[in-house]
Amino acid sequence: MSRPQPDSSPHCLEFHDVTVAYGRRPVLWNIDLTVDGPGLFGIIGPNGAGKSTLLKAALGLVPLAGGSVQFFGQPLRAVRTRVGYVPQRETVDWDFPVSVFDVVLMGTYARLGWFRRPGPRERELARDCLARVGLADVANRQIGRLSGGQQQRVFLARALAQQADLYFLDEPMAGVDARSQEQIFAVLSALRAAGKLIVVVHHDLRSASEWFDRVALVDMRLIATGPAAEVLTPENLQRTYAGPLDVLDELGRAVARRERTP
Amino acid sequence: MTGPFPLPYNTLVVAGGMAAVGCAAGVVGCLGVLRRRSLAADAASHATLAGVALALAATGRRELPVLLAGGLLTAIGSLVVLVMLRRFTRTREDAATAIVLGVSFGLGITLLSGMTARGIPGSAGLEQFLLGQTAALTAADAMLLGCLSVAAVTLVWVGLKEVVLVAFDAPFAAASGWPVFAIDTALVALLAVMVVVGLPAAGAVLVTALLVIPPSAARQWTDRVATMLVLSGAFGLTAALVGVAISAAVPRLATGPVMVLAAAAIFAASFFLAPKRGVWARWRQQRELQQEWSRAGRDPTQAPTKAAGRSGP
Amino acid sequence: MHRWTPRRSPGRAARLAGWITCSLWGALWAADVAAAPPAQAPTPLRVLATTTVVADLVRQVAGDLVALDCLMGPGVDPHSYKATPRDADRLARAQLVVASGLHLEGKLSELLGRLGKRLPVVSVADALPQNKLLELAPGLYDPHVWFDASLWAGCPAVLAEKLASLDPVHAPDYRRRAGEYAARLQALHGELTTQLGAVPQERRVLVTAHDAFRYFGRAYGVEVVGVQGTSTESEAGLNDINRLVDLVVERRIPAVFVETSVSDRNVAALREGAAARGHAVALGGRLYSDSLGGPGSGAQTLEEALRSNVATIVAGLGGGESPATGSPQP
Repeated sequence: MSRPQPDSSPHCLEFHDVTVAYGRRPVLWNIDLTVDGPGLFGIIGPNGAGKSTLLKAALGLVPLAGGSVQFFGQPLRAVRTRVGYVPQRETVDWDFPVSVFDVVLMGTYARLGWFRRPGPRERELARDCLARVGLADVANRQIGRLSGGQQQRVFLARALAQQADLYFLDEPMAGVDARSQEQIFAVLSALRAAGKLIVVVHHDLRSASEWFDRVALVDMRLIATGPAAEVLTPENLQRTYAGPLDVLDELGRAVARRERTP
Repeated sequence: MTGPFPLPYNTLVVAGGMAAVGCAAGVVGCLGVLRRRSLAADAASHATLAGVALALAATGRRELPVLLAGGLLTAIGSLVVLVMLRRFTRTREDAATAIVLGVSFGLGITLLSGMTARGIPGSAGLEQFLLGQTAALTAADAMLLGCLSVAAVTLVWVGLKEVVLVAFDAPFAAASGWPVFAIDTALVALLAVMVVVGLPAAGAVLVTALLVIPPSAARQWTDRVATMLVLSGAFGLTAALVGVAISAAVPRLATGPVMVLAAAAIFAASFFLAPKRGVWARWRQQRELQQEWSRAGRDPTQAPTKAAGRSGP
Repeated sequence: MHRWTPRRSPGRAARLAGWITCSLWGALWAADVAAAPPAQAPTPLRVLATTTVVADLVRQVAGDLVALDCLMGPGVDPHSYKATPRDADRLARAQLVVASGLHLEGKLSELLGRLGKRLPVVSVADALPQNKLLELAPGLYDPHVWFDASLWAGCPAVLAEKLASLDPVHAPDYRRRAGEYAARLQALHGELTTQLGAVPQERRVLVTAHDAFRYFGRAYGVEVVGVQGTSTESEAGLNDINRLVDLVVERRIPAVFVETSVSDRNVAALREGAAARGHAVALGGRLYSDSLGGPGSGAQTLEEALRSNVATIVAGLGGGESPATGSPQP
């Protein structure tokens, strides 16, 4: 446990020898990963590879069996207000009596602190974030009455309201229609342009190569990390996924094609 | 006939005390329902019996504050055991709750019958804590219950934002740095206090009903937490007053169970009549949609838009 | 050294287990037989009484001629008393069980009924003439008969006959003592009537936690009102408390009374209601209702308890007499 220091290191996010286990079963093993901002960083891997666990371990939601995670060179508790989080949608009770606006407003709570109520400034911020994800017209709707894509955008708006420098998103495109995916990607690109680092756990190989600048391939261990084109090669994919060869071949070709376009 | 009061004095005392308890139980119970801790509250309520018996055995005093303090200790103790069972053994949540409820209740009944069988002074009538003994409320008791109720509602109002955040999305709250376990514990402790405050009203067996039925009724009418809290408090208060009124009019009728029945009636009415979520409202919506679609069948350009379809439940 | 390996001979282990089980059962059965009472009992007869009031009756009629045990202690409520397996054991080992009867021991009635087939059980109040009993509902009578000393005086003879049939050697003693006790009870009856006569008629209203004193009221000309009804099992409702407050205020009743074996929370609420209407009702004291007092209470026999009750009532309702002793101890 290091003492809080000023931003001595330029790295936004560092995983040092991270190991996570559920009981005696290791889920993540000796992960050493450094991520620099700004940018869109993808964490890719098969199901059950420990991708979500990597995020949760970084955020302190699951205990670390070994290693440490540093944010801007400091432990998480020193820089909590600089980290935003969009969790998986399954963890939420959609019948909860809150509106879209109420949920986005929750993103401002951490900066308010104990027992203070959100005021006009927080409400203004929430409205702004809602507009940025294109949900201004459903602000008063109860969250259960939204489509999957709309629900995901609500959570994204909540994370925006956290006004963070580093954002974690856990499978944000899962179960979301194509149009909403485009909208979400647009928002993330805007964040990247504003100088933020966005780390996304992503499930789909095909879109991964299009969207992310750099990726990490994870399957309990860190298989490879670097620019998307370098990492998403057929050999690496085969090592990670061990799936049918022709699909991976096609992917390899798709990545190579993208490389050729200026 | 009733002296300087518009109603008999005892009725006023009981009505005042029960109104405060009913309202507070409705409000605090909302949070319990939203955070899905109502069953834990039920286990705590069944554990209070052992505490009441032990308080009498230990101190020999029968005043309400003493007995309720004992009840609170065992209520909290049972919740601690419940948390430990879930954390350190592989018992599932519902099984652990059932175990704690059964064991603590069994302990309470054993202590109670053992004490009455031995004729320990003051133990006679302790079983009134099983189903409540509102008729025997003195003004001092009612004041105590009223103050505790006001304190409970105030605490809910102060900490509402934190509890709603944790109840809605605990992982997000934890990632934001909120101490989720501490907030959860505080909520459950408040539920335990509310259970003890409700003991003289409805007794150990029924007090959970006062904590669960008004919020469930309120949920039918609104989609906002603040409104739900206010409505739930209002429903709890109404049920309490109706219960008191009926048992003041009809001889040989215990107040606690009538309060619970009144709350259930409110819930049934809400279930059927509430706009948007009520059974009748949904049936009407279905019919309207069917009529619209059958009209659209004759002219496709008149089909309802996707947005209109979305506004359903 | 020979090592016993059960896995190699499961049959031998099973047989051994079987022998041990059979021997244990045999030993238990033999012990049970040895403990069972013989048909004709040599003195002293083992008698088990249910309530303290009945135990006092047995003591008065039989004295040291029997070995007496009592099921419920002082301060125990017989309406709600549930027998434990140990109690069932004690009941079964007695040679004679004496109960009060008329469903006073509400939760024991089934057990007593079953026992009655195997050993002698006598419910003394059941033998009283029904035309002298107060009826609550068709076929159901108020069981608190001991509060009318003249009525209870009919019970010693019933008990004496039962004892005589089981222990003929001492039959003359039982009958004599029963007669003496009945006479004392009749004398007590007269004494209490006189004492209560000192309270003016309009103030002779007895308000207590439950309706135990109806026979008392009938015998000594006192109007009795109980908050909870005849059995402590029913709960008092708000309506009942209100009616009682009206009664107490309108009739200007000076005192209400609590009982040693019943909750007094209802009475506290009642007094507050009356005080709010400007009528101060005193707590007259504790009365012995379903149970006598313990050692040192000064009310361990029925005669003492009745005298204590009347003294407390007279003092509370304003008959001019000072209370005989302090408040009774349970």
